[in-house]
Amino acid sequence: MAALIWFNEDGLNPQHQMVQDYADAPRVYVFDVDYLQQWAIAKHRIQFIYESLLEIPNIEIYKGETVAVLRQLITDYEVNEVVTTETPNHLIKSWQDELLRYTSLITYPEVYPTIDSRPRRFSHYWRKCDREWLTL
Amino acid sequence: MKRLRTDLEGRAAIADYLQAEFPFLEDAGVLSPYPGGRSAGLERLEQFQLEKYGKQRNFLDGEVGRLSPYISRGCIELEEVRQWALKRGKSNSVEKFVSELAWRAFFHLVYEEEGDRILKDMEKPKVSMRQHQTTLPEDIANGETGIPSMDTFIAMLKETGYLHNHARMYLASYIVHFRRVSWRAGADWMYGLLIDGDFASNHLSWQWVASTFSHKPYIFNRENLERYAGSVLPGDPRKGDPFNYSYEELSEQLFGGEYQPERSRTSGSYR
Repeated sequence: MAALIWFNEDGLNPQHQMVQDYADAPRVYVFDVDYLQQWAIAKHRIQFIYESLLEIPNIEIYKGETVAVLRQLITDYEVNEVVTTETPNHLIKSWQDELLRYTSLITYPEVYPTIDSRPRRFSHYWRKCDREWLTL
Repeated sequence: MKRLRTDLEGRAAIADYLQAEFPFLEDAGVLSPYPGGRSAGLERLEQFQLEKYGKQRNFLDGEVGRLSPYISRGCIELEEVRQWALKRGKSNSVEKFVSELAWRAFFHLVYEEEGDRILKDMEKPKVSMRQHQTTLPEDIANGETGIPSMDTFIAMLKETGYLHNHARMYLASYIVHFRRVSWRAGADWMYGLLIDGDFASNHLSWQWVASTFSHKPYIFNRENLERYAGSVLPGDPRKGDPFNYSYEELSEQLFGGEYQPERSRTSGSYR
């Protein structure tokens, strides 16, 4: 199946496993103008993201409305899968959810040595999980 | 939709180009000392003197990784940084550093569980916040509070896109408790300015300071500020200093005795 790699601002690793798994897929990033303005994202962050993207070979960088841009690219590239990285960011998640109406989505999870459901206080979490965190 | 150029060379040229493409951005006037990219992140990791971290991490001029822009934006993975640290053998520094990485994961797990509910009070505040204003005062946004230490932190944040964790806590505490501004107004503002802006770490840390995600409000006094940050601050006027009190006095002034901190040292060069 033809795929497209969609990077988000929480996952800008040019050596991420998804890049290796989908080596031939087009790689894209969208600067969402509404988001940047609504949250008053500072220029230093935008430049940091832009510079990080330049280390991803053949990256295509767009500005616009995220889902609309991705839908256009899905059509242009005739892909039926979008590959991306998981993030708890609720705004990015809402774009991912919307995108699911138009294509299938493969998300690579964040990697932690251990997870805990319903963590409430860090001290509890650390007491419970410190061994996993401190072991290679 | 518009495709952006990827053939620019040099950070200054990139800054000019981005300013033209995103004209609504405030021009910082300077380049951030944090260039983006995995290679810059790995370089910073190599230069990080982890063995000094345990003793120095709370001091603003102490050795810290300054890796959070690279980890938050995913240029380097949290798990690879954890493994890098553990390969240096067991030490207090390694354990402290790994526990800080675990804080980041903890915040993410809470965010994953709660979604955008983290933008509202996670718990009832432990002190009254009903009178707190819900917009950020302009003097704070402009870094013109008249308190040189706080204005210095705000200037650092705007000029570099980064703040030492302890400076973030001082600034958040000043805004929420000393200025009586809602944590959400402060958190939203800082989120936009930080290169490593991340709703999980940022908003939940503000809630931790505010006491809506912790057992008590976080406050600091002059002695603490001087001890950990004095070397990088210009010095505040003694007259009308809002911080030059014991914790018991501050608690009374800020919370009207509503919250009683455990007794703490009241001695120090400013008492």
